[in-house]
Amino acid sequence: MDTLNRIKDLASKEFSLDAGALDPAAPLDKLGIDSLSFIEFMFKVEEEFGVSVSDEDLKGIRTLADLERHVATALASAGKA
Amino acid sequence: MSERRVAVTGAGVVSPLGCSFDEFHAALCEARPGIRRLSPDTAQGSGVQVGAAIDWQPTAHFKEGEAANLDRASQFALVASAQAIAASGLDVSTERERIGVYWGTGLGGATTLETAYKQVYGAGEWRVRPLTVVMAMNNAAGSNVAVRHGLRGPFANFATACSSSAMALGEAMRAIQSGRADAMVAGGSEALLVPGTLAAWHALRTLAAADPANAAASCKPFDKRRAGLVLGEGSAAFVLEEESRARARGAPVLALLTGYGNSCDATHMSRPDRDGQIRALRAALDDAALAPDAIGYVNAHGTATSVGDVVESEAINAVFGAATEALPVSSTKSLHGHLLGSAGALEFGAALLPLLRGVLPPTAFLDQPDPACKLRHVPKAAQEIAPPRAVMSNSFAFGGSNVVLVAERV
Repeated sequence: MDTLNRIKDLASKEFSLDAGALDPAAPLDKLGIDSLSFIEFMFKVEEEFGVSVSDEDLKGIRTLADLERHVATALASAGKA
Repeated sequence: MSERRVAVTGAGVVSPLGCSFDEFHAALCEARPGIRRLSPDTAQGSGVQVGAAIDWQPTAHFKEGEAANLDRASQFALVASAQAIAASGLDVSTERERIGVYWGTGLGGATTLETAYKQVYGAGEWRVRPLTVVMAMNNAAGSNVAVRHGLRGPFANFATACSSSAMALGEAMRAIQSGRADAMVAGGSEALLVPGTLAAWHALRTLAAADPANAAASCKPFDKRRAGLVLGEGSAAFVLEEESRARARGAPVLALLTGYGNSCDATHMSRPDRDGQIRALRAALDDAALAPDAIGYVNAHGTATSVGDVVESEAINAVFGAATEALPVSSTKSLHGHLLGSAGALEFGAALLPLLRGVLPPTAFLDQPDPACKLRHVPKAAQEIAPPRAVMSNSFAFGGSNVVLVAERV
């Protein structure tokens, strides 16, 4: 499964949402994901991929697609992708 | 007496004796025990052998992701309070500013805290779940109830150990009497049967060891053979409403909550004090404007410690005088264990059994009453009676916090 689908899969479990209906370009709050829920979700994303997203980078993440880009960058710099 | 009287219109229970108010009452009627041996992992990790644990399946009540983000104490609270609200028929979608939540818990999210500590101290890993704080905080359970139902009225969380949820009920009654709210969801929850917390209790040397012949009979309040308390877990919730409002909407009025006594021993952190208990008992009777002989049942705090049961018996005798001889008293902790912060609310629910069904819940396994506990016991099995006018429930906590509640028949 590619990175985005793994993220969507995690998000659908965390927020009890239909993975197929998750629009990667939609703002997180439009998906019903508030800031606290997102911090908890990020913890699970970091565990899943074995990467760390900095506090600074975290502030710039507005959509699941943003998140995918950060995870992909972190994986690449860690030599995992 | 206040002009605004307070009706109990709904009850919900998640307990070692069943997960509804009716199941709980049925188990008390049958003296069906909820105490058993703890799992080998928990026992080995804590030194504690018995407890009253709930066979709990979170996914039967919550979506998977949701359950993972709620401490066990909050899960219990949400289920019990939803039962109570449903049973009351209260419409919580309107006048939400007039409906509040007063909750009680001793330790809050013990499981969440323990999980985080294991990570930090056990695994040497400082990365813990971001939700740890909001899952573990003491007010999490009550706040989750308020959030779930959108209840925007007065909110408070009481953490006075074993009297926490009785205090929540008493103060919720005051909130309605004073006009600060028209309805309140009040109760408590506790879930601390985890090794770290159990080990701390074990160190106090107040917990009973497993009865070698029958683990279910390990908690023996008022019995000569009593060896200490047995910890339990669960939640009980009630909907309280201003009586005329409840009547006007045709609500099922289970009882009236008419007496609340609150005192502090101010003598010792753990040793109970007879005079402190007497003050709370008298205050509750005065509040209800009832003479002692109007009380037809007392659900005792009765933890089965050597000192506590005697002190409580003396306090009851001092307050009820000659009426003590005919006053049925029992400790249902013999069946459901000690739910600590949730005990007061659960036992208030047990005290309603004589009012609602004309049944006195028993002190199970009471074969050899201690002569130092001079009470009219309800030993071993439930007894049928004519429903009394009023009942009482005692909660006497570490820290010297004493709460007594009085409920009256409708």
